[in-house]
Amino acid sequence: MFDISEDKINESELRKKTRDSACGGFVCFEGWVRDHNQGKAVQKLAYEAYPKLAIKEGNKIISQAKEKFAIKKAFCTHRVGLLEIGDMAVWVGVSAAHRDAAFKACRYILDEVKSRVPIWKNETWTDGESGWVEQE
Amino acid sequence: MKNTSKNITILFFGKLKETWKTSELKQTTQVNTIEELYIELLKECDEEPHKASIKAAINDEFVSWDSSINDNDTIAFLPPASGG
Repeated sequence: MFDISEDKINESELRKKTRDSACGGFVCFEGWVRDHNQGKAVQKLAYEAYPKLAIKEGNKIISQAKEKFAIKKAFCTHRVGLLEIGDMAVWVGVSAAHRDAAFKACRYILDEVKSRVPIWKNETWTDGESGWVEQE
Repeated sequence: MKNTSKNITILFFGKLKETWKTSELKQTTQVNTIEELYIELLKECDEEPHKASIKAAINDEFVSWDSSINDNDTIAFLPPASGG
């Protein structure tokens, strides 16, 4: 399941939801706001989403991951609004019977979310200027 | 196709809000497709965004540029995603 959150991501709750007694492995990725990007010192970030479409597209990605890889459960939550350095921007967790599928599915979900889900990053740099970040 | 008047809402996201200097427009239009609407909207902004990188949506679904516009549609123009 994919979700958008205006509040701090509750990773322990998400991890609990991903657990499954049929699974021998769990792979998780946490994306954090770092203090620099493309050579500039970053002060804070704001994420904007088109929520309805983002949730639809995010859930499509989770379904596709379940079709492509032998995984049991997968969750992804993306934060929106104003974030400070060190805050968690995105969380992906996948459980599977075996590790290979879990690693691959976690990477797949993150990569697809970054390129397909309508969410945009606006950085404020330490010089006070701000701007929309282009796709990496 | 007959060009009938349609009342539509147009949403802009990310850097496209700056291109059109708004996040939402309400318009009455005669155009029939997303592509025709986009060309019409270009008259209202100073710069021409790179169209190949823009995605369009109608009523919260991604659509192609030749999709038809109907009365009361909400149309969104989306720059490349940069989440994560």
